[in-house]
Amino acid sequence: MRIYILRRLLQIVPTVLMITFVVFVMMRSIPGDPVVALLGDAYTEEDAVKVRQEYGLDKPILVQYLIWVGKLLQGDWGVSILSGRPVVQDVLIRLPVTLELIVLSMAVALVIAIPAAIVGALRQNTWADYSATTVAMIGVSIPEFFIGVLLLLVFSIGLGGVLPSSGWVYLPGTCPGIICAASLWGNAQHVLMPAFALGVGRAAILTRLLRASMLEVIRTEYVTTARAKGLAERPVVFKHALKNALIPTVTVMGLQVGFLIGGAIVVETLFAMPGLGTFGIDAIIARDYQQVQGFALITAFAFVVINLLVDLTYTFLDPRIRYA
Amino acid sequence: MTDGGAPLRIEPRPISGGSLREAELPGVRAITRPAAVARSESPLVQGLRRLRRSTTALVGVAIVVVLLVVAIFADQLAPRSPIASDQTRTFQRPSWDYPLGTDQLGRDMLSRMIHGTRISLLVGVSSVLLALFVGVPFGMIAGYYGGRVDTLVMRAMDLILAFPIYLLAIILMIMFTPTSGLIGTIKVTGAIAIVRIPIYARLVRGSVLSIKEKEYIEACRAIGVRDPWILMRHVLPNCLAPIIVTTTLGIATSIIVEATLSFLGLGTQPPTPSWGWDLKANVAFIQANLWLSLFPGLAIFVTVLGFNLFGDGLRDALDPRLK
Repeated sequence: MRIYILRRLLQIVPTVLMITFVVFVMMRSIPGDPVVALLGDAYTEEDAVKVRQEYGLDKPILVQYLIWVGKLLQGDWGVSILSGRPVVQDVLIRLPVTLELIVLSMAVALVIAIPAAIVGALRQNTWADYSATTVAMIGVSIPEFFIGVLLLLVFSIGLGGVLPSSGWVYLPGTCPGIICAASLWGNAQHVLMPAFALGVGRAAILTRLLRASMLEVIRTEYVTTARAKGLAERPVVFKHALKNALIPTVTVMGLQVGFLIGGAIVVETLFAMPGLGTFGIDAIIARDYQQVQGFALITAFAFVVINLLVDLTYTFLDPRIRYA
Repeated sequence: MTDGGAPLRIEPRPISGGSLREAELPGVRAITRPAAVARSESPLVQGLRRLRRSTTALVGVAIVVVLLVVAIFADQLAPRSPIASDQTRTFQRPSWDYPLGTDQLGRDMLSRMIHGTRISLLVGVSSVLLALFVGVPFGMIAGYYGGRVDTLVMRAMDLILAFPIYLLAIILMIMFTPTSGLIGTIKVTGAIAIVRIPIYARLVRGSVLSIKEKEYIEACRAIGVRDPWILMRHVLPNCLAPIIVTTTLGIATSIIVEATLSFLGLGTQPPTPSWGWDLKANVAFIQANLWLSLFPGLAIFVTVLGFNLFGDGLRDALDPRLK
């Protein structure tokens, strides 16, 4: 098991390098020059040459990439061309926002999906099942930003501004800088709608999948045996059926990470949150190469680490699964 | 032997020719069924017959058909031009003249919604078809030939799959430079198609890996049938069910991705009507004019719901094991 984890951890390196290299090449093939944007009206050819030399933009792409990797190994993520701030500083300020959003949205998804799927499967073809599947179908079909707009209409406009429509207050202890607003209640107010907007779609997908898996599992012989030996319904459902039904669900949760990152970009844009999503989209649009590389690096890293965690969760859910 | 001592009679089971519906049919019907009819019904036809019995799938089909009609006849159905602005009639509330009101530029929202159907369906359907036409041959070749070809093709597909889907789509759109009109629509279609190609390649490769081991493929090879003919005539038709299901559900996903890109300002650019863009543009005025963002959102929702219902019905009908 340890060897397996070690091997997988080592595999993270080439995957992250590959993703960041492709992003590196793609960004540099985008029409437009960040140096022009940086110099603005004061643009002169001599200044442009000087800035390009300063940021190493006059070198071949492969050399530029190797320099970036070399600096990265020393903990230097580069400096933003447009803002002049170190990229790692921006990423660290924004990371807690997105992390909290994604974790809470997955929590929202699980809190909705698990009971809905269990009820749907145990009471198959009853009104409870039809309600769960209908709501899940609706949830799958609504884009995050429309759920966000509906939430804004109800809680920020309809109910007289119960929840704020934009901005952010950090969770106490997560603020990486010296100056940031931090309070538990303020944070809850700001994160509730975005987490719900992002979580509902995931909840719908997981409900559909978990219900189907539960239906399959509760018809297996070991569940019948568990019931026959007089086990109460609760342990039968939670210990025997749910744990086994969760395996495909966990796989899909891992695959959803790619969509969650995209969803985070959209939800953060809608609610004007200072997270990694808005940081990434702003950097891409502004063609701020160093910031985009930082965004790609953290995204790729999160993507592969979460997929590794998903694989490791299998051994907990099904002890028969062993990695060698 | 039973308790009473009477010998147990075992009835020979009728053989009906290996139809996929065999498990559903009582034995007697399988014998009395005319052989010609049984043979003429492909699994696809049987699936479509099952589809007709699903109410939710039919609701999905009805929504899709209505949307297709709206998209095709948008010019005739829209009461006004979707891009003509009238500064004297901005933010009109829904009325007889303007059933869905007007936006901040005085453009008729109903006309924009009707023309938006075109962009949504065009991008949704064509991006999936484009991904299909590239991904399916790649998947078939990789699965059928195996070895180095398989490794080469699938590693390339893994490279795309390794990206979070939206990150790749956003960077591709910035590379293509979003524009308005048909060219803008083609760019969005291309970006979404690229991120979807590996899905089809993986799906088809998996199916081909099992199909190529079947006796009838071996028989084809033995009598000297050429590989392209085997792939097109014998392998592809047997992968069709999962391809059709994934395509229909994929259209729903593509429509959401298109709306999301438009919402981020990276889809088809204005003045071309796009639901995602309209929703984003009108969020700023939501406090006083809530309908402005509601209608584009509802349009996206109903369209995606239609394709999801249709796709779910197809999946249940064509591959009941996936239910």
